Amino acid sequence: MFKVRNLRFKYPSSKEYTINGIDFEIKNGEIFGFLGPSAAGKSTVQKILIKLLKGFEGEIEYYGKPLLSYNDEFYQDIGVSFEMPISFSKLTAMENLDFFKKLYKQTVDVEPLLKRVGLWDDRDKKAGEYSKGMKIRLNFIRALLNKPKMLFLDEPTNGLDPGNARIMKDMILEFKKQGGTVFITSHIMSDIDELCDRVAFIADGKLREVDTPRNLKIKYGKRMVKVEYKEEGSLIVREFSMNEIKTSAFCELLRDKDIETLHSGETTLEEIFIKVTGVTLRG
Amino acid sequence: MGRLLPLVKGEFDRLNKYNLFTANFVVLLFWVGLAFFFEGEELKMFVPVIFLMDSTMMTIMLVGASLFYEKQEHTMNSIMISPVTEDEYLFSKVIVGVLNSLITVIFISAALYFVKGVIYNYLLLIPAIIIVTVVHTMIGIRLSYHAKSFSSLLVNFMVYIFLFLLPTVFATLGIIDANLAKYLIVLPPEISSILIGALARDVELWKLLFGYTYLSVLSFVLYRFMIKPKFNEYIMRETGV
Ligand SMILES: Nc1ncnc2c1ncn2[C@@H]1O[C@H](COP(=O)(O)OP(=O)(O)OP(=O)(O)O)[C@@H](O)[C@H]1O
Ligand SMILES: [Mg+2]
Repeated sequence: MFKVRNLRFKYPSSKEYTINGIDFEIKNGEIFGFLGPSAAGKSTVQKILIKLLKGFEGEIEYYGKPLLSYNDEFYQDIGVSFEMPISFSKLTAMENLDFFKKLYKQTVDVEPLLKRVGLWDDRDKKAGEYSKGMKIRLNFIRALLNKPKMLFLDEPTNGLDPGNARIMKDMILEFKKQGGTVFITSHIMSDIDELCDRVAFIADGKLREVDTPRNLKIKYGKRMVKVEYKEEGSLIVREFSMNEIKTSAFCELLRDKDIETLHSGETTLEEIFIKVTGVTLRG
Repeated sequence: MGRLLPLVKGEFDRLNKYNLFTANFVVLLFWVGLAFFFEGEELKMFVPVIFLMDSTMMTIMLVGASLFYEKQEHTMNSIMISPVTEDEYLFSKVIVGVLNSLITVIFISAALYFVKGVIYNYLLLIPAIIIVTVVHTMIGIRLSYHAKSFSSLLVNFMVYIFLFLLPTVFATLGIIDANLAKYLIVLPPEISSILIGALARDVELWKLLFGYTYLSVLSFVLYRFMIKPKFNEYIMRETGV
């Protein structure tokens, strides 16, 4: 769907390239996660892909044609949720949605969507009086207004309580099930792990990794098993490589000892993040 | 262009909800109140000032305020990621400005008729109001590009008025000699004042023709070379979308 080759971008006001030569592809129907430390350029890349930032170098193809060759009808196809609240503060949520709806050819009925994210009862409240989490949910519905084929979600679950985050993640997964494609950034690794088919890590303007979460976990994990068991009142920890687990030493241990915990050495996205980007997670 | 209608409607809706209409209305009442104290020739001198102030200053204020809010609340981005084109977006601002100025014409004319029983040459006023408002919407947008906040927009506006009005004042006071003063007609406030003034006093035909042609060309040049090329940069600037 999107093919990005040797993308470089510099803000007019800055000396250095924020994005310094990156390549990736977003395939039709996948959820593509874009990860990286704060200020690494995730939102910048999203803004380039949605044609807001135009002065980039390199090539971006959308369905096989240069992105910039599409006119504004391109926006009929996509839905965008920005990282900060975007609504007219003195209009109600419903008035906001009604205004934006009129700008599209094809639109959805917002009632079921608002009900789903729990905003229906507050639809006549001014958007400026919404709480942070309510504004984020409203952003998400705004992104869905035009039945998009592709969603761009910049930290969509940031600031949501676990219940609402669950609902939004379910909606994202359903969107994918119906054939939609998603570009998503987030600092919440468990969300990324759960949602994304593939993830890319960006740091210092370059992509460090692009792969499935599973492949990355295998690549960065240790191929081993850690066993903790009690022997004569004291706790013993032993590690076996994956090759050793068929040996009798390992099998006898499992049979004869009081095993307390058993862990495989596969790592978490969080640890991969730190290793790959060389930075600790914020917040 | 089918999206112009919802854009214009939405803009009016917001002018209302953000109390900008109310502010505008209060100013209009103030003008009518002032007009009440003038009679005859004085009134004739004063009425064009109302229309001039409304189609220049008020136009700049309204478009500036609307851009300022849209920038501050990032709704500009939300509009730009819809199928709305930059041209449609900018034209909608111009249309709203013109409609607002025409509403003022209707309101003030009706008020003057009821309070003072006077009727002016509206055939000459309406086209003048339209072209003056168009130019000043452009100027308002352009001034907004440089404004970091609403108060800095006001400062920009003051500087604009000062720079362009000063020569006219000098000419009136005789500081600039009469020969040179003839050329002041190329300053937007000066020519705007001449065109709008035609509702109450006689203006030479060549000045009218020159004025309309000049302001039309100026609108086009402003739009084509000063507003459109910098618009994307303006959207993306500061706060970092
Ligand atoms: N409008 C702008 N003008 C100039 N520089 C900008 C602008 N927007 C962002 N930047 C800079 O570009 C860099 C990348 O910013 P970006 O918003 O893409 O980061 P991010 O990866 O999304 O970070 P976060 O996780 O905090 O949202 C930062 O150094 C930022 O200061
Ligand atoms: Mg960001």
